[in-house]
Amino acid sequence: MSGGGLNLRIQGLTVVYGGVTALDNVNISVPSGGFVSVLGANGAGKTTLVRSITSLLHLHKGRVRRGSIELGGKSILGKKSPDIVAAGVAQVPEGRKLFPNLTVKENLLCGAASRSDVSGIDESLEQNLELFSQLRPLLNQTAGLLSGGEQQMVAVGRALMSQPSLLICDELSLGLAPKIVHRLFELLTEINETRGTSILVIEQNASLALQHANDAYVLELGRVLMEGTAAELRGNPMVQELYLGGGGEAHTSYAAIERPSRSRPLEHGQRPPVAES
Amino acid sequence: MLLAFGNFTADPSVNLQLLIGGLALGAIYAVVALGFVLVYKSTDVLNLAHGEFLMLGAYFALTFLISENLNFFLGVFVLLLVMLVFGLLVHYGIMRRMVGQGFFAIVLITLGIATIIRALLLIFYGPTERARLDLLPQGSFEVGGATVRHVDLIIFAVVAACVLLFFLFFKYTRLGLHMRAVADDIEAAAAMGIDPDKVYAMTWAAAMVMAGVGGLLFGHVTGAIDRSIEAIGLRAFPAAVVGGLTSLGGSIVGGLVVGVIEQFANGHLGTKWREPVAFSVMFVVLLVRPTGLWGRKDLERV
Repeated sequence: MSGGGLNLRIQGLTVVYGGVTALDNVNISVPSGGFVSVLGANGAGKTTLVRSITSLLHLHKGRVRRGSIELGGKSILGKKSPDIVAAGVAQVPEGRKLFPNLTVKENLLCGAASRSDVSGIDESLEQNLELFSQLRPLLNQTAGLLSGGEQQMVAVGRALMSQPSLLICDELSLGLAPKIVHRLFELLTEINETRGTSILVIEQNASLALQHANDAYVLELGRVLMEGTAAELRGNPMVQELYLGGGGEAHTSYAAIERPSRSRPLEHGQRPPVAES
Repeated sequence: MLLAFGNFTADPSVNLQLLIGGLALGAIYAVVALGFVLVYKSTDVLNLAHGEFLMLGAYFALTFLISENLNFFLGVFVLLLVMLVFGLLVHYGIMRRMVGQGFFAIVLITLGIATIIRALLLIFYGPTERARLDLLPQGSFEVGGATVRHVDLIIFAVVAACVLLFFLFFKYTRLGLHMRAVADDIEAAAAMGIDPDKVYAMTWAAAMVMAGVGGLLFGHVTGAIDRSIEAIGLRAFPAAVVGGLTSLGGSIVGGLVVGVIEQFANGHLGTKWREPVAFSVMFVVLLVRPTGLWGRKDLERV
């Protein structure tokens, strides 16, 4: 899988909802076997990016106006969502979006909807239960009754059931205790390293995302504001100021969420950084 | 005063008779309500054409089992196959284009479908009423002073078998699982690679097949087959609502409860009280428990 090439390549992506532009000329790449983070505050266009890749835009009356999205060198733009899953893209949606009335096992099996190899599906189920061992006793529980952390594990496990080459996680940390979020990111790293699955993490929790990713992008108001290796961005004063709570020390905090990045520099009487380009 | 309503009696054999008749009627309501609830739960469409679907089933039964005089089992197979094709036509021809449109626009579309079916039946079958179906055994036997018709027993058994098949299908097949997933969260289902379009198509096909079974059964107990039997769709409405519009199991119990209550109202109070009592039950249930007896709000932890 990790042949040095690109897994996902997005070029010049422009997405509109009605007359409103949500993404403007966005270029993002995920190397094969890479771990990439996209950071940004609310309204930066992060979820729109996920919907564009997974072809769910039409459910929200959005459409791609320009640009290309390629997976493993082949265009997936305009394909239907089942075909995109079959092509190797799986997602952990924002807010988990489990099937609340289905059991944990049934939720996991739904993740294998694109597959027809029965024994392979059983094998993937078993792999998942080894990875998320605390789900094993909960297999026949109704998913809607699990704790938030357990639900997020089911959501990740469900996505893995399709044996994706690219796993997209949208706001994995949202609403979960820091300890659980840390554990989930560790598991993502493990999946990335042992299975070679490329990972694209969309996050508000910048410190965690930068800690685990190789490369990162900062999205703001629908544009890519910055890109670089995770280490470069961690060391960037503006990223520290806007997304890491000013300290530079990568500790888990919701400061980045609570202080909208756009208003922060203005409080100090500075010009917004976007305006200079 | 009460006597003015009719003749109340404590005679157990009369009450047993009413119970048996009520259960048979209720079983048919249950089948109708099941198809109705299936569509509502899976596609979020309040299908007001379900009574017409059943009527279509009854008329097709006339064609394949009486006019064409096919072997009974072959005829039933053809009937259900044709109903399945009609279900797919409803989805791919009409409902597919309405996905994502407003709730009431879609309800009105189903009313339009109902009108089209009534018109087509008038064109192809003419206005004259037909004798009811008589393919099931017509005999009867006595139990505790009550007469049990074979046909009622068969109806009950067929409905029970259908319900069992239905539950096994939903619980243990991939398609059944995907249908429940789409009912829970269509966007998440699409994100997992489940094609909602296919699931919807299968839902309409399944509802149509259920209506075929219902039409075949109801065709045996109705007075005559004409274009007024679509009213059973409306009559099964209390059954679906009492059970809770989102509960397949509830629609079965709802059907039986409403059928029995109707028969008791019919026997003790007179025919004119059948519908008022059935709908009163629906009102009371809605007032006390708006989600119906078994309907529930989706589990969700935020």
